[in-house]
Amino acid sequence: MNVDLNVKPHPAFEEIFWVTLEDGSRKLGTKNFSPGNSVYGERLIKFEGTEYRLWEPFRSKLAAAILKGLKTVPVCLDQKVLYLGAASGTTPSHISDIVGENGHVYCVEFASRSLRELVNNVVAFRYNMSPILADARLPESYSRMVEQVSTIYCDVAQPEQAKLLADNADMFLAEGGWVMLAIKAQSIDVTKDPAEVIRKETAILESRGFNIKQVVGLEPFDKAHAMVVAQK
Amino acid sequence: MVKATIVESVMGAFGFGEDNILVEKMFFPKDAVETAERLKKIEDGTLIDEISGLIDNLKKKGYTQFVFENQKMAITANKKLNIEVSVEPSSEAGNLFRENLVTIALDSGFVEKPEQLRAHLHKVSMELAKIKVKKVVEKRDMLVAQAVLSVDDLDKSLNLFMGRIREWYGLHFPELDRLLEKHETYSRLVVKLGRKENFTIEKLEQEGLPQNKSKMIAEVAAASMGADIIEDDLAQIQYMCSHVLELYSLRQNLENYVEAVMDEVAPNTKAVAGSLLGGRLIALAGGLMNLAKLPASTMQILGAEKALFRSLKTKARPPKHGIIFQHPLIHDGKRWQRGKIARALAGKITIAARVDAFKGEYAADDLKADLEKRVQEITERYPNPPPTPAPTKREFKGKQKNRRQNRRNKRGPKR
Ligand SMILES: C[S@@+](CC[C@H](N)C(=O)[O-])C[C@H]1O[C@@H](n2cnc3c(N)ncnc32)[C@H](O)[C@@H]1O
Repeated sequence: MNVDLNVKPHPAFEEIFWVTLEDGSRKLGTKNFSPGNSVYGERLIKFEGTEYRLWEPFRSKLAAAILKGLKTVPVCLDQKVLYLGAASGTTPSHISDIVGENGHVYCVEFASRSLRELVNNVVAFRYNMSPILADARLPESYSRMVEQVSTIYCDVAQPEQAKLLADNADMFLAEGGWVMLAIKAQSIDVTKDPAEVIRKETAILESRGFNIKQVVGLEPFDKAHAMVVAQK
Repeated sequence: MVKATIVESVMGAFGFGEDNILVEKMFFPKDAVETAERLKKIEDGTLIDEISGLIDNLKKKGYTQFVFENQKMAITANKKLNIEVSVEPSSEAGNLFRENLVTIALDSGFVEKPEQLRAHLHKVSMELAKIKVKKVVEKRDMLVAQAVLSVDDLDKSLNLFMGRIREWYGLHFPELDRLLEKHETYSRLVVKLGRKENFTIEKLEQEGLPQNKSKMIAEVAAASMGADIIEDDLAQIQYMCSHVLELYSLRQNLENYVEAVMDEVAPNTKAVAGSLLGGRLIALAGGLMNLAKLPASTMQILGAEKALFRSLKTKARPPKHGIIFQHPLIHDGKRWQRGKIARALAGKITIAARVDAFKGEYAADDLKADLEKRVQEITERYPNPPPTPAPTKREFKGKQKNRRQNRRNKRGPKR
């Protein structure tokens, strides 16, 4: 089947788009904040004078979660977002697209190698992002670099991630702000079954004053992963 | 007692009084590089002019107690400025400051438009990240390997010197050798206390020895069989000891260096193996990349090549573990569990080294948790030593051994 390439705004989420490709397939996309540059090899699409980046659900858990029926995407235009575990910037770059020039993405990453890639390949072309080489378990070590945010996205793939997220929220999250937590079910406690792990982590968030709004499984894009969305 | 909270930011240092009202501020220069350098210093707990200036001004206004959000800075300020401090990671003032960052930047005249603050935040964080990442240059793995080998050389030399010192000073106070195992303490006591008559309870306790130990040493000293010694002879021994102590501090220094560099070069390997052992493995393999390419079975016997070749020649049992034997998990494990623990450990170090070499992410907490769990399984499954069969000499050939071990693996619990 051959159709005309087209791009339409996502009916529910601001600054997120549905891209219909020539072969009729539909992909998520965001407006490229840094036209001409691709971050992780994703395809760039020109449509009516604007450049979009395809958003790969197999590479980005946020895209996977959206495809899996996320009801709220707590990232939108002009927002400040704290991103824990930014790695080399796959998902952070799309968030940077979404929040736009008046928003800001604070990217915390522990591994210097990943951070170097993040700085050179992504942040250098996006002035709405800040790279922060730090351990997300110690929010006070980077409090100077971060302002209050309305959303914290956490994907550190470490044990104790719910606690670490709540500690960051105490310091940086606005009243009524949102958090997203990508849980790799096996990575927290290998002995427990995935559902159990997710229950435990969400219980920690609840005990720290969060309302769990939704939990979506990310299969088939990510095995044994889930995305938790909660509000303070 | 009037309390002020110190909040640092990319703009400078700010002092908040009671009711979180901004009372003092010290801007950094607007240059991104200079700001990043200052923030790096603050992170490292180094006092900078802007902060001591801010505190001076606050003191003039009558503030006597200072709250910091970061412990390192609080400790430094307490020591260097001799002020009363406390630590509050997400202080009310700090949270308020971060909430109103843009407003404060505008009101205080630091910038005229919000976009300028955004741009400044971006630039400063880029510079700070560059400063922190710059230290990670290629080939640093070989530098850290050399440092670890130096630690090992020092250990050998120190053992040699200490054997000599114990014998030498032992002519005067022979019983001390048995009573003090730690070389460093032995040397320090000889330097500080000198002749055995000075080994009294009070003085030993002053040197930080526990009470019962001090008592025991003092009693033995009083009844010592050793010969008297004249000042000249003692001075020479002490001189030697003081140099040995310097070598110990050199060793500590090297160890700190290794610790810091391993964090950047191979954080996962460091977390699983420990920094010295991790560095030794890198040295033995000839680099992080090489280490990452080794199969787990080789990792397990790395450093035991001599024993391996000996076993090939003499048909003795092949070694179960190389230098990873130094890891506390194996070292402290029961004799019959060690082989299994070594295999588990080698497997995890292998993964860690690969993540370090190829991905550069930090994922070691997972690996460590897996490993601990596996070790617990092993200790629970094999609480008792296996019955010892009558020793039989087995024919051993490299390949066969592998097959045999694989078979044994299969019988073991599944991961
Ligand atoms: C699964 S990856 C994140 C991928 C990224 N979120 C994306 O979708 O593009 C997890 C990252 O968290 C980082 N990480 C692990 N522990 C951390 C910690 N304590 N603080 C900061 N980052 C951490 C790892 O180095 C790794 O880069």
